[in-house]
Amino acid sequence: MGDESRISSRVRQLLAQVLDVPPDSIGPGFSADSTGGWTSLNHLMLVSQLESEFEVVFSNQEIGELTSFTAIIEALGRRLDAGT
Amino acid sequence: MSLEGQVDSAALERLASAVQPGQPWSAYQAAARALDRIPRETIPDRLRARVAILGSFTLDPFLPVLRVEAARAGLWLDTYLAPYGLYLSELLDPGSGLYQFRPIVTFLAIDGDVLWNQRWAETPPLKSEPVVGGLLTPLFAGLDAFERAGSGIVVMNDFVLPRRSTEGVNAFRSKGTFAHTIAHANKHLRLRLSLRDQTFLFPLADVVGQVGRTHAFNWRTHYRGHLTWSDALMAAIAERYVGFALAAMGKATKCIVLDLDNTLWGGVLGEEGPTGIALGPHWPGSEFVDFQRELLNLQRQGILLALCSKNNESEALAVLRDHPSMLIREPQLAAFRINWEDKASNIRSLAGELNIGLDHMLLLDDSPHERAWVKDQIPELRVPDLPPDPSMYAHWVGSLPSLMVLQQTAEDLQRTQQYQESRTRETYRTSIDSLEDFLRGLGLRVHIGLVDEGSMARVVQLLAKTNQFNLTTRRHDEATLRRQVASAAWRVYTMGVADRFGDFGLTAVAIVEPAAAAWHVESFLLSCRVIGKSVETALLVRIAEDARGAGVSVLSAEFIDSGRNQVASTFLSNHGFDADAEGRWLRSLDAPGLEWPAYITPAGWHPAGTAPDNHGGR
Repeated sequence: MGDESRISSRVRQLLAQVLDVPPDSIGPGFSADSTGGWTSLNHLMLVSQLESEFEVVFSNQEIGELTSFTAIIEALGRRLDAGT
Repeated sequence: MSLEGQVDSAALERLASAVQPGQPWSAYQAAARALDRIPRETIPDRLRARVAILGSFTLDPFLPVLRVEAARAGLWLDTYLAPYGLYLSELLDPGSGLYQFRPIVTFLAIDGDVLWNQRWAETPPLKSEPVVGGLLTPLFAGLDAFERAGSGIVVMNDFVLPRRSTEGVNAFRSKGTFAHTIAHANKHLRLRLSLRDQTFLFPLADVVGQVGRTHAFNWRTHYRGHLTWSDALMAAIAERYVGFALAAMGKATKCIVLDLDNTLWGGVLGEEGPTGIALGPHWPGSEFVDFQRELLNLQRQGILLALCSKNNESEALAVLRDHPSMLIREPQLAAFRINWEDKASNIRSLAGELNIGLDHMLLLDDSPHERAWVKDQIPELRVPDLPPDPSMYAHWVGSLPSLMVLQQTAEDLQRTQQYQESRTRETYRTSIDSLEDFLRGLGLRVHIGLVDEGSMARVVQLLAKTNQFNLTTRRHDEATLRRQVASAAWRVYTMGVADRFGDFGLTAVAIVEPAAAAWHVESFLLSCRVIGKSVETALLVRIAEDARGAGVSVLSAEFIDSGRNQVASTFLSNHGFDADAEGRWLRSLDAPGLEWPAYITPAGWHPAGTAPDNHGGR
């Protein structure tokens, strides 16, 4: 649990920094569709920031799917579980 | 000092301090957004720099990093990023966004892949020449066009081998390798950039080396989105780019103020005595010798060194004079304050003596306490945090962005000597009675001429830097000057000044627009080194004589209040000019009162066009 909340709070912080939104506004419903600043360029940077922060590498297919807060948390959960 | 409701450089520095070295790009992005929230109208012009970036790859994410590093140095950047990959057409097309933006600095970021891709388009046998020519020929045509339009300065990086080579251990024998193409391109780039005054080479290979090639490039973002620079490389490049922006804005450091104990040598002189301090060929002590050597490198480029130390003056000067390993000695110092007064007062007094603004000075002091106190007293002073370990001083000092010197003229290199001569002059001043006596005793000599190839760089520099005695504070770049002189629209006067204590060098410039009805003084400036000697009268008299010689009987001029040029505000009225209703100052040359000062000797004046060495000064 501790790990999970650490992950979600760090993801929330990264999303807030990259997309310039208040961290409080980032929850389960937060997605690329509903966020004007989530451009393809910011997506590129977001993915690379997640990769270096959590020391993972996403596949092309995964990158296409990392378009919401929930999807990112789930993808990281899968990766980090597989890694242990 | 901040005006009501205006942002000052310290506020920008505070916002930037949210990002620490080594933090990821996201931290820069967040800090840049915080900068965006500052209302634009509260940012004074003097803090704003227009910076353009042209690249061969994705650079959008670099902008927040650059803006934050600029804010760390107290600068606000207005940025222009050329559309992806269009660096050549932006340079070549006078209608492009780049030209419209009118940047003060343009950074060209071109990666080695540009050459790589061209190379693979060639038919074997591969040769470097057509590849390099294929890139550099249009590139320099673009730079020429841009420079003619008054480009400001342009900074372009050298080419870096992007990947580990697969060309094998015999590659060094062959001219057909990519490694050879890169080396050949860099050789030509260096040569061609060095022949131009307004272009500079950015040492990307050096910066990549410092970051480490493994960490400098991000291959994932490179392939996914053509973004090659890693977070770490972006930060390292931004730090150095800022140095160019500061220098182009005339905000580079002009004087480094140095502490002594634990800064120029190890230990405390007052406690350990001259033989006890750490300074010499072996550690501990050798790290301070190296640090002094780096400081002297900066001094050779024209940055002044001064001392401000809490010590007994005679003891400290004895070390400067007698210690065998001391490199910075009295002749290398423009001024010093060695006493037990507080450092802020001493630094203010140094600024007064050297006639340098506190915002152009930088303090190097190992004591966090002294730094904090001085910074609190003088917010506009640059007070970087020294590394806690003196072993890092010599390496670290090269990373300070404000210590970049773009233009080195003969005057820069002599500057320390000139300030020392001025120390002698000041002593002389206190021993005589009237200003007139003082001036007569100086044995002033002036040499007035028209700008030529030899003086062009200095004229451009004076136009860019002179704030105090400057009637109009118009900044003109070299391209404009050359164009106007060539078309005879401007007569650009230069004046060198010397006295019996030494040579001040070329220290006055006037731009005159000759017309049949009146000659108009478009610019008139005097370096602060020669203010108070009435040499400006001599230059004006010379202009008046030339005007009369051309059958013109009226001079016109302007005074534009810049907030910093009060010292020039009475120049026109004192010389018989009268203001008309539109604020234009006019003087009839038939009226008396404009006379050559008796205590100034003219030297080497040739009327326009007759001087044998007067190239380009038509």
